[in-house]
Amino acid sequence: MLLVSALISGIGLGSMYGLMALGFYVTYAVSSTVNFAQGSSMMLGAVLTFALTRNLGLPMPLAILIALALCALYGLVVEFIAVRPFANRGSDSWLMATVALGIVLDNAVMFTFGKEPRNLSSPLAQSSLEIGGVSLGVYPLQVLIPVIGVALAAGLFYLSRRTRWGTAMLAIAQNRSAARLMGIPITKAVAFAYALSTLFAGIAGVLIAPLFNVHSEMGTLFGLKAFAVAILGGITSAWGVMIAGFIFGIAEALVTSTLGSGYTQIITFALVILALAWRPNGLFGRAEVKKV
Amino acid sequence: MSPRTIAAAQIALLVAVLGVGVALALRVNGYYVFVLANVALLALVGMGMNVLIGLTGQISFGHVGFYALGAYTVAVLGKMGVSFWISWPLGAVIATLFGGVLALPALRVKGPYLAMVTIAFGFIIEHGIVEARGLTGGQNGIMGIASPALGSIRGERAVAIIALISAGVACIGYMLIARGTWGAALRAVRGSEIAAESIGLNPLVIKTAAFAISAFTAGAAGGLFAPLSGFVTPNTFGFSQSILFVLVVMIGGAGSAAGPLVGAVIVGLLPELLSSLEDFRLLFFGGLLLLVLWVAPGGLVGLWQAAIDRLRAILITAKPPATLAAPDIIEPLQQRARAGLSVDGLSIRFGGVHAVSDLSFEAAPGQVTSLIGPNGAGKTTALNMLSGFYRPSSGGFTLGDLHLGGAPAMRVARSGLARTYQTSQLFGELSVIDNVALALSRGKLGTLFGRARINAKPVRMRAAALLAFSVYRGDPLARAEDLPHVDRRFVEIARALALDPDALLLDEPAAGLSSEDKQQLGRLLRKIADAGIAIVVVEHDMALVMGVSDKIVVLDQGRRLAVGTPTEIQANASVRQAYLGDGSATPSVAARKPTEGAPEMLGVNALVVGYGAEPILHEVDIQVRRGEVVALLGANGAGKSTLMRTLCGLHRPVTSGGVTLDGQDVTSMGAEKMVALGMAVSPEGRQVFPELSVLDNIRLGAFLHPEGREARVEDMLTRFPRLRERLHQRAGLLSGGEQQMLAVARALMSRPRILLLDEPSLGLAPKVVADLFAALDKLREEDMTVLVVDQMAALALSLADRAYVLERGRIIASGDALSIGRDPALTQAYLGA
Amino acid sequence: MPKAFPSFTRRAMLAGASALAITFSAGAVSAAEPIKIGLVTALSGQSALAGEALSRGMTIAIDEINAKGGLLGGRMIELVRRDDEGNPAKGVTAARELIFREKVAVLFGGLDTPVSMAMVPLVNSEKVPFMGPWAAGTGITKNDGNPNFAFRVSAVDEIVDIGMLDYAQKTFKSAKPGMILVNNAWGESNEMGLKAALDAKGLKAVGVEKFEANDVDLTPQLTRLRAAGADSLFMVGNVGPSAQVVKSMDRMGWKVPIVSHWGPAGGRFTELAGPNGKDVHFVQTYSFFGKLSPVGERVVAALKAKYPSIKGLDDITPAVGVANAYDGMHLAALAIAAAGSTDGDAVRQGFYKIGKYDGLIKTYDKPFSPKVHDALQASDYVWAQFIDNRIVPVTN
Repeated sequence: MLLVSALISGIGLGSMYGLMALGFYVTYAVSSTVNFAQGSSMMLGAVLTFALTRNLGLPMPLAILIALALCALYGLVVEFIAVRPFANRGSDSWLMATVALGIVLDNAVMFTFGKEPRNLSSPLAQSSLEIGGVSLGVYPLQVLIPVIGVALAAGLFYLSRRTRWGTAMLAIAQNRSAARLMGIPITKAVAFAYALSTLFAGIAGVLIAPLFNVHSEMGTLFGLKAFAVAILGGITSAWGVMIAGFIFGIAEALVTSTLGSGYTQIITFALVILALAWRPNGLFGRAEVKKV
Repeated sequence: MSPRTIAAAQIALLVAVLGVGVALALRVNGYYVFVLANVALLALVGMGMNVLIGLTGQISFGHVGFYALGAYTVAVLGKMGVSFWISWPLGAVIATLFGGVLALPALRVKGPYLAMVTIAFGFIIEHGIVEARGLTGGQNGIMGIASPALGSIRGERAVAIIALISAGVACIGYMLIARGTWGAALRAVRGSEIAAESIGLNPLVIKTAAFAISAFTAGAAGGLFAPLSGFVTPNTFGFSQSILFVLVVMIGGAGSAAGPLVGAVIVGLLPELLSSLEDFRLLFFGGLLLLVLWVAPGGLVGLWQAAIDRLRAILITAKPPATLAAPDIIEPLQQRARAGLSVDGLSIRFGGVHAVSDLSFEAAPGQVTSLIGPNGAGKTTALNMLSGFYRPSSGGFTLGDLHLGGAPAMRVARSGLARTYQTSQLFGELSVIDNVALALSRGKLGTLFGRARINAKPVRMRAAALLAFSVYRGDPLARAEDLPHVDRRFVEIARALALDPDALLLDEPAAGLSSEDKQQLGRLLRKIADAGIAIVVVEHDMALVMGVSDKIVVLDQGRRLAVGTPTEIQANASVRQAYLGDGSATPSVAARKPTEGAPEMLGVNALVVGYGAEPILHEVDIQVRRGEVVALLGANGAGKSTLMRTLCGLHRPVTSGGVTLDGQDVTSMGAEKMVALGMAVSPEGRQVFPELSVLDNIRLGAFLHPEGREARVEDMLTRFPRLRERLHQRAGLLSGGEQQMLAVARALMSRPRILLLDEPSLGLAPKVVADLFAALDKLREEDMTVLVVDQMAALALSLADRAYVLERGRIIASGDALSIGRDPALTQAYLGA
Repeated sequence: MPKAFPSFTRRAMLAGASALAITFSAGAVSAAEPIKIGLVTALSGQSALAGEALSRGMTIAIDEINAKGGLLGGRMIELVRRDDEGNPAKGVTAARELIFREKVAVLFGGLDTPVSMAMVPLVNSEKVPFMGPWAAGTGITKNDGNPNFAFRVSAVDEIVDIGMLDYAQKTFKSAKPGMILVNNAWGESNEMGLKAALDAKGLKAVGVEKFEANDVDLTPQLTRLRAAGADSLFMVGNVGPSAQVVKSMDRMGWKVPIVSHWGPAGGRFTELAGPNGKDVHFVQTYSFFGKLSPVGERVVAALKAKYPSIKGLDDITPAVGVANAYDGMHLAALAIAAAGSTDGDAVRQGFYKIGKYDGLIKTYDKPFSPKVHDALQASDYVWAQFIDNRIVPVTN
């Protein structure tokens, strides 16, 4: 029983991590940069959905659509003001700049949205799933989240192979200069990747909000763990980061339910270090060829 | 001002700043003392972080872990009654040990992976402290930590003074390291880990040291933080504190001694200045941070330095470079008995491809042995095995009696086998003479703060002598990355010679050199050989090879094709064919269309292009008319690749001259725009997208013109039936010939008005080449405008209406294809005969 | 040369000029000089709402005092707030700034026990009276300072913990309690307090589980407690994580009584925790619901007038923060008035001289003495639960 419940909650959390880690993957693939404050993007998705439904009274599906569109827009802002100016100059300061922008966003949300944690209720997170009157101990949403997570990863996989822009993004990741020779505009593609990345984080935020509380700092630790997941999976592999998400989520839940929660972060992060010492490019990442 | 007086002035300034700080610490009220001490602690951490970030280019987001270790050591031992003066250094040492241990996994990884390892470390320490309740007091931490006394000065004032002095000492320590042998080695590893290994440095040890040093200062600062604040709790040591530490270095300016000081003042004071903004403080802090990063992406000290440099450039006219003190006294290369290099059955496979098979040859001491062959023959791969970067699949090599096959690069170098690189890999941040002096140490760096190993007079003299010997005439104190291309070549040779090697491997030393420089290089190689060193040189410049070699080994498709003296090789028929091709497998030259009056499609006017100071292309003029196939011929290293990269917009900016495409000036246009104007490229080395299917590769060619795409895909598959069979395979799994067809098909998908074909026959078997050229010939019949570059002159000429011959960056001949084929200038350009 | 450092930093910094102007505008002391009262609490981050509640409670009290002509012959009271981000190091720096630069007469602490604990040695050595309106750590007022400058109008963990056990035994007949505690200093302090309370009765918790403030799913921890056979839970955590506990239990279909510290009162608990939130019984020092005293009516009216976002009683959250801060501010003002000056030691003794004060939480009668630095005692705690959005005292 302990194991089953750990597995269920681990898979649910893991797919959230994986979804956000996919966001790291798409920007890293085409630009070798990431939004270090991805947790703030996740928070934005949840906060906007809440504000649009509760304050403006929009119906939930519409609110979610608008919130996600705004998230994607925020991704363009991140790329434009915190990444591009530095990446163009070959400076690593995008790292710090994205963190700074995250601080600004968190606090701006705190002043506009409020300091109080709120709840985004969802019909999918009201009562536990039952089979023959026996409670399974999970909300329907918790089952839906991994499904959506995997579906999005599959969708990303499919679109990247079936659409013009999708294959173009893969082409940039594989060979930048050859991609330019195909006429693919790299700058636009990077901006697009940031929009997509933030969109993924936003989706994660919307999905998790009903299980969690909506407030300006809800994403901070999440973003960090998602980064750990992206790295663990090998940030160059889309399926790798998704699978690493499940591994990380399940490991967290297993450690918590066997050793107690005090050791969760110690052990999961130690596992990340060990995994990287064993495979320096992540569990599923491809080693870069040593060029001489 | 000499460096010595500058250093003295810097230290005097530092002492003055410290003096003011200490005076303030004694006089101002408790709040300012506290803020001052916090700034000093940030500076202390920053100095160590600067060794890591500024000198080695590594980054860490986990240094709060070391800070916490130092703080908790002092706090825990203080509660047990241990004196601060014992627990403080102990804490720093514990942090250092942890730093060394963390370096083991951390330095196996790079970039974001390293960031993650350090983040994880910080979390583990923070949560470990919580769980070690018995010792650490858990979440409630330890309160009431006594502060040390300095005579009658107590409390935060005493700690502030200790912190200020520590920061000052750390600053001086940083300066000593940065200017000493270790600093040079750290920067060398940052500049080129590969080159560092090949002068016998151990990057792992060096980077571990940097990690440990930064952990030491973080631990020391933490040990001061505990008595300063009087308490420690785990959440004081959270992730955001690590970010602040990195910020100290980045905002101040990485790699300068003043950087962390400036950074600490800003990171320490900015939140205080904003404190009255109450709840808006963090918002403004984030915003101002962004602003500072925009204004000074290289840090504020960097900004200041750039301003000073600009001012200096305006005020002071260039002074003549310093010359070296008479180095004639020193014999740059000792005359001694040296061992020869003996290669036996060397082989390596990548995937299924035999890059080098069963290569054997001898390079005798005092002789120049050249390794030549068409591109893709496996020459550089062989060199990489000989220098320890690749592990041979089978076979090996010996230097004298020493078996070195499979030994790591560092050991190969220390054993007396030195090398240079195709694109020179100097340590860019070091001065020219430091590059050489560091190599003289052969990996023995001496004490941490010492500089004797690279700065002692005999070392400098010897380095200077080696530079003079290697015909470097420039400023020995110039930064290596500012050197013109030609100087880099010679400095790199001097650096390799500094190892006092038995054998020297040179990878295309003449690439990009002018003919005078090449002559000088030839003489230098002879001089080196005369000192008894066995030289193995990979080179494309045939004039140089034929002139300087005692022996030539010819490689083709990974195998030894021939071996002999220059005259023997020039007379060898199979060598001729490997280089020039024989044209027999291609369609006969026939049915030329008159294109005289056709309008110009591509025009190149007096184009000058270079990477450094020395141009690679000199006033090149080329014209391609509509419907015409033009061949561009020339040996490797003639400048063909640079020309092609410039023509397709990948190399910008050009030095002078211009390029027009269908009458439109595209001189400053990037590749994406030029493709939109109707240019398509099949680049050198195919450059297919290896993870995508053949079909997706073809479709990507139509990225800008998706309408009617599938019909054109069908057309391509008819044109290249082989691709249809492989349609859903990953392009990376295709054979070389199939990849080439794919690259052409992909280029044609954009419905180009001109097609640039860069080395289509490179590394392909003759039968495959025949198929490929049959397909290309069809294009010609369809009136496609084509500019083709190919090493296989006969092949290219069989296709072309007209041709240009490029040698050493200049057009030396042009005309219709038939007459160029008979022109002796062509053979001269290829085989130097 | 107290001016030397400011001018040095002024030159050194490129930061906002406005910030500078505010920061360094200190003038000479005069009769009209306001009396500054400091507040160091979390104004950003997860606990920002608590900081806001404290600010509101103090502001209402200050407005009342100033409307009556201020203190010490017409000197107005001015609130100076600083953000500690929940970090003790930042809190102590801010406390130093308020003490040395702003020269506050009384320093108020915030929500986090470690921050207050870190500030206590400082206020004792600098002789500035400290008022704790929230943090319940026992050691804040029971410190080894002699004299002791730390006072409090709030709950005290070790008393709350005894109360929680008594309540659980009496109301729910619990025999095998488990603990689910937030993994921070507050949780740890209550872990010790609860263990001591259980020990005193020869009992033992069947399990002690921790959670992070940002944990989403607490089923692993709760499953362990259920497996250990817990028949009731002691819960310590802020409103968000407390809601996560309830939601996770709901999902598991596990129903045992929860006796909680006052965390759930810190926000819209029923909105966050869902319908089962009403089954959590928690301790309070004050509730605005039910029949209000005249003081209560006055404070609610003032709050509504001052803060447009407060429309109903359920918008006054966390109520304990507002109430404690309001009473704490009035008591501090009485102490200053009794001292006749803002001298730290005089104000400290002024606290002992406070006689009767008709406050919001209760009518205080000689609330402080050299032995007693906590104005609220076990008898002042009320047990409450949420009914819809209202905190209602439990009636049984």
